[in-house]
Amino acid sequence: MGQREIIEKMLAARRGLRPDWDWQAGRDDAAEGGCGVIGMASSEQVAAKHMLQALKQMRNRGNGKGGGIAAVGLVPREFGVSKETLENDYLIAVAYMDPKVRAKVEKDFIRSIYVVDHVHEQKHMKDYRKVAELEVRPPDVVIYFVRIKPKVLKDFMAEHDMMNVEKRRVEDEIVYQNTYKLNTTFYQSTGEKQAFVLSHGKNLLVLKMVGYGDDVIEYYQIENMHAHVWIGHHRYPTKGRVWHPGGAHPFIGLNEALVHNGDFANHSSISEYLAQRNIYPLFLTDTEVAVQVFDLLHRTYNYPLEYVIEALAPTTERDFHMLPQEKQRVYEMLQTTHMHCSPDGPWFFLIAQSDTHAAGGPVYRLTGITDTSMLRPQVFAYQERTLDDGHKVAIGFAASEKQGIDAALESLAETDKRFWPRADKFWNARGGSHTDGGAFLFSVKYDSKKPALAVTDKFGHEVKSPVQMPAFTPGSRRARGLSVSIPDMPAAGLFKWMQGQLPNWNYGEALAFISGLGEAADEPKKRRHVIDMLTLLMDRRYPSGQMRRSSLLTLVDACFADVTELIRKRPSPDYVYHKAGVALPKPNGKKQILVLDASGYTAQDETSLARELQRLYEAGFTQFMLVKCHGHRFIGNGFAENSKGVRIDVYGSPGDYLASGADGMEIHVHNNGQDQLAQIMKTGKLVVHGDVGQTFMYGAKGGEAYILGNAAGRPLINAVGKPRVVINGTCLDYLAESFMAGDPLNGGGFVVLNGMAFDDNNELVSLETPYPGSNLFSLASGGAIYVRDPRQHVAEDQLNGGRFVEMTDADWALIEPYLEENARLFGISIDRLLTVDGETRQAEEVYRKIRPSEVRALQAEEAWIHKATARRGVKR
Amino acid sequence: MSLANKSVFELIVDKHTTNLHEGFRIWSEEKDSAPPALGDYRWTDDLILATWYQAAHGKPPESGLEYKTGRSGGGFDVLDFNFLPESKWLAADVDIDLTLPLNRRGDHLEKISIPLPIYGGGMSYGSVSEQVMLSRARNAAHWGTFTSTGEGGYPKSLTEYKDNVITQVATGMFGVREETIRNARIVEFKYAQGAKPGLGGHLLGDKATQTVSEIRESVPWVSLFSPFPFHSVYSVEDHRKHVDWIKQTNPRALVSVKVSTPTDVDMVAVGSYFAGAHIVHLDGAYGGTGAAPEIAKKNIAMPIEFAIPKVHKYLVSEEIRDRVTVMASGGIRTAYDIAKAIALGADGAVIGTSELVAMGCTRCSNCERGRGCPFGLTTTDPLLSQFVQPDWGAARLTNLYTSYAGQLRDILRRLGLRNIGELRGRPDLLRYVG
Repeated sequence: MGQREIIEKMLAARRGLRPDWDWQAGRDDAAEGGCGVIGMASSEQVAAKHMLQALKQMRNRGNGKGGGIAAVGLVPREFGVSKETLENDYLIAVAYMDPKVRAKVEKDFIRSIYVVDHVHEQKHMKDYRKVAELEVRPPDVVIYFVRIKPKVLKDFMAEHDMMNVEKRRVEDEIVYQNTYKLNTTFYQSTGEKQAFVLSHGKNLLVLKMVGYGDDVIEYYQIENMHAHVWIGHHRYPTKGRVWHPGGAHPFIGLNEALVHNGDFANHSSISEYLAQRNIYPLFLTDTEVAVQVFDLLHRTYNYPLEYVIEALAPTTERDFHMLPQEKQRVYEMLQTTHMHCSPDGPWFFLIAQSDTHAAGGPVYRLTGITDTSMLRPQVFAYQERTLDDGHKVAIGFAASEKQGIDAALESLAETDKRFWPRADKFWNARGGSHTDGGAFLFSVKYDSKKPALAVTDKFGHEVKSPVQMPAFTPGSRRARGLSVSIPDMPAAGLFKWMQGQLPNWNYGEALAFISGLGEAADEPKKRRHVIDMLTLLMDRRYPSGQMRRSSLLTLVDACFADVTELIRKRPSPDYVYHKAGVALPKPNGKKQILVLDASGYTAQDETSLARELQRLYEAGFTQFMLVKCHGHRFIGNGFAENSKGVRIDVYGSPGDYLASGADGMEIHVHNNGQDQLAQIMKTGKLVVHGDVGQTFMYGAKGGEAYILGNAAGRPLINAVGKPRVVINGTCLDYLAESFMAGDPLNGGGFVVLNGMAFDDNNELVSLETPYPGSNLFSLASGGAIYVRDPRQHVAEDQLNGGRFVEMTDADWALIEPYLEENARLFGISIDRLLTVDGETRQAEEVYRKIRPSEVRALQAEEAWIHKATARRGVKR
Repeated sequence: MSLANKSVFELIVDKHTTNLHEGFRIWSEEKDSAPPALGDYRWTDDLILATWYQAAHGKPPESGLEYKTGRSGGGFDVLDFNFLPESKWLAADVDIDLTLPLNRRGDHLEKISIPLPIYGGGMSYGSVSEQVMLSRARNAAHWGTFTSTGEGGYPKSLTEYKDNVITQVATGMFGVREETIRNARIVEFKYAQGAKPGLGGHLLGDKATQTVSEIRESVPWVSLFSPFPFHSVYSVEDHRKHVDWIKQTNPRALVSVKVSTPTDVDMVAVGSYFAGAHIVHLDGAYGGTGAAPEIAKKNIAMPIEFAIPKVHKYLVSEEIRDRVTVMASGGIRTAYDIAKAIALGADGAVIGTSELVAMGCTRCSNCERGRGCPFGLTTTDPLLSQFVQPDWGAARLTNLYTSYAGQLRDILRRLGLRNIGELRGRPDLLRYVG
């Protein structure tokens, strides 16, 4: 039987599902708000408790009205079943809000259809009120391990003329339909919401409730449940006085569970699209609709994941034309056919999938997909090591925030020494792009009985681990018994000396060196030197010989923590320590540095780190070192005008809006920054030794910013005045949209885009193209971009409102001091930037200048309005 | 008038100002016919002239000019009140309270109340002149109510009135600085404007003069667009973060969220409340100066008359109606419109265009091109803007507010209600007269 025929039969088989109530009613209730999401996938089976801290730290992305988790690739004995049962049986998890209906549910929808191999009662806390803020009693969950009765299968095949269809596809469909009927009987139509199916795929479990995602883990006591893939979610529904667990994420298709951050404008048209295929959502949220589309395209239409992703997040604009001809042909068909199921609006999906249909055995997979316009925050990360026996231990993450990933990894590293707190690699997806397709897939597969994790993008290109060097194992032979004599010289010199030594060092020597530094901090006078040196070790990229950067940095982090602990115990005239819950200290001189332990402060509100900073500033402190940041927002906000002289050094993972409104202060972030940094910044300086997130410097008026890595979407949108920015990497797209920063040669603003990156050996290299996006300088009416583009990769068609103009001596004279500062901060020398193919070139040959077009950028817009009004005979 | 010691420039301003003021008076008081081509179906010639009259006299005209409704054939124009028979009216000496509390959240922040249920909407420096802004601010200070900066920054001269000025944070973030956020007792987030939802804001190059661009820190004579939407806010969780940001800078300020009226405006209102809003400001489709494209004004957002009850009912069903203040704007032209908006479910109204009309706007729609308004309102031209003197403008607005307050009291009196809160959400007091 051909695919087409199978598909038609499967869709036809669902005809009977058309509900007898008005399925379109209540759509108004469908609005979903924002959310916080995290997912991880590992070659190892990882305990749920490692999601706890991450979810707790991201609570500010939800409001406690819905939380959930999904786990794929479970451990049989944790459910009291055999390996075969876990792999072969459907795992039907039923949520009973009303335990009285259980007998009826089991009689009508479980035992009549399935052979039940095992029943697992999910344990839970006795008193739900022990979980803080939980308002509604979560449902009791019963998990049934089942197989479809042969007669049921035979009858279904006969009834729907599917005798020649692959058995497992038919079985999947029976499960799908049975669940639908169960839900309509006990959830949708009773009006009482007595029971519903949480999940029904093989080796896949969903738990969810009215609460936060971390509440789910605590209430159902699954801290020690293990799985290869986890996703977790906090919901932030916009509305609603009454909530039901059915509305919480994850939502299920058949073999997958999906969590989502964002919302679609075309929810009802997608519902319509699904209805035409006899699929009727029951829970009235756009997330459910999304997973139904995924299930339809992947399971029913049998599309490979690449095509499913393309249908959801189409490749557009310049990216489409950059695709190979054959892909363009297929993608065009996909886009044309499935336009109506492509979610329109901001969204980021995480999908946990138990791909039992995969050739060569089941695959447990985490997939993260961003919408084409990249309107939601998203970050991916990866860590791997090869053990002595050759087994590769790997873990991948996708989340709303880097700090969530850090928290999970830190928690994991505490209990499992095969992991360590720093990921090898962090990156963002470029939505609907020809480069990565805006999606990454982390697939766990059992090859020769050992599980292995593979990371690929939408196109199936493997994302390689950046390093092959061995990771550090605490207490291992190589790590012990060495001593290194540390020369007595200033930090910069010492750093240089150390760089010379590194290629010959192993972990033992590195550890000895770092420990030696730490010990030197005993002497108060040496503290500044030690902290400077440790900071350089964190900030700079340098070849690390036989050692892996993330491992080395883990050692540096540990030493840094020791030094701050030392300052806590024994403050000195140079350094004092402060943390939450104790009285504000008094400054002792302008130069004194206050080490502020962020861990006890909230991310926002009155008890936040940012408010405490304001209070300390008002108390007279001006020099700050923030340590142990994890998602703290608004750092440096609210200092008001003229905060010149303030310096804030940020360690850990800071949160959104850092440096927003800054007017004079200097902030150095010794890590990646998050979203919305330096909004409306006026003067001062921001240095980020890593990447920055969405809408960096939105509406900025001025100030200097230096970014070692990349910016995500829309940096400098609507910036005016005189911001001066050096971005050493690139940006996802929409750089300097509506830029209005005057004439840089007459006091206006500019962005230098260097288009550089560090390779696997931490050597600086040019990116393939300095700017991969389709939109650069759109609608800009002022300012300039100086792009390092010696090979002239950036094309006219990427500029919507800008044009290339001559790069003059005056331009170079303008940007050179900023590149000098960039060199000082990051060690990226001007010589290196001007070196192309081993030759030093003239600045004019390396940098290109983009200015607003002569044509008024907005003319098209105006012309449109003019034409439209003229046509209607409107008097203007 | 002495001609001595005046520059030609001043003489020109004097001459035009005198003529304009005389014109506003004569047309609204003495002529029994309107000037040709004045007004349209929504803002009829009568409404414009009646507004001029009120701005001069502090009470509605008695000459027969229609000052309550227009002739649009829909919305407020086909609604009237079910007044009680005269015998049941409250006596003239009964005190009628128009006070409107703006903070009902029950939090620890300032319990701001305004003495009448009106404040001025955002019109930026650049879209209108500094003189117009000053006129509005002085009037707001006189009444103890508010006016809004719009999104063109905060001219220094307004600082004197900062207790009565709402700082707007809009999508272009023009002129938004920590100081201006800290100045304000209320910070308004403008997500969209009912007149042109989805189009952001725009100021054409002709009006982006040296001084305007200085305060916005942009390039003079270059068109300025504010994007739609906030590129840092694509969901309600982002919005909450956005509000948290402003609270970080100014923890004392109340939060107003100004949104247009899409079909799910009710959901937006509830979401805004849960994200910390004290005021939800609904901006319907009929507002906007001539700078908003007609095609947008007439076709995009939902009329405010539909949006108000939709939001009101939803807030009631969510049991949060009494914890949030709903302000309506977008085509509210008269005291009767204000009262009708309140009867439909709003707490009060935000007005913009009628304030401009009080200061001489004829609704000629010549707001954005060239030197801007020939009457000196929506202009940044240094000469034209002098046609509006802040004292004169403030007096006109104060008179208009006086007239509105009198009419609102009169309406309540005739409905047998003692305070404005009792009128809220009483569509039963309205009748259809189309």
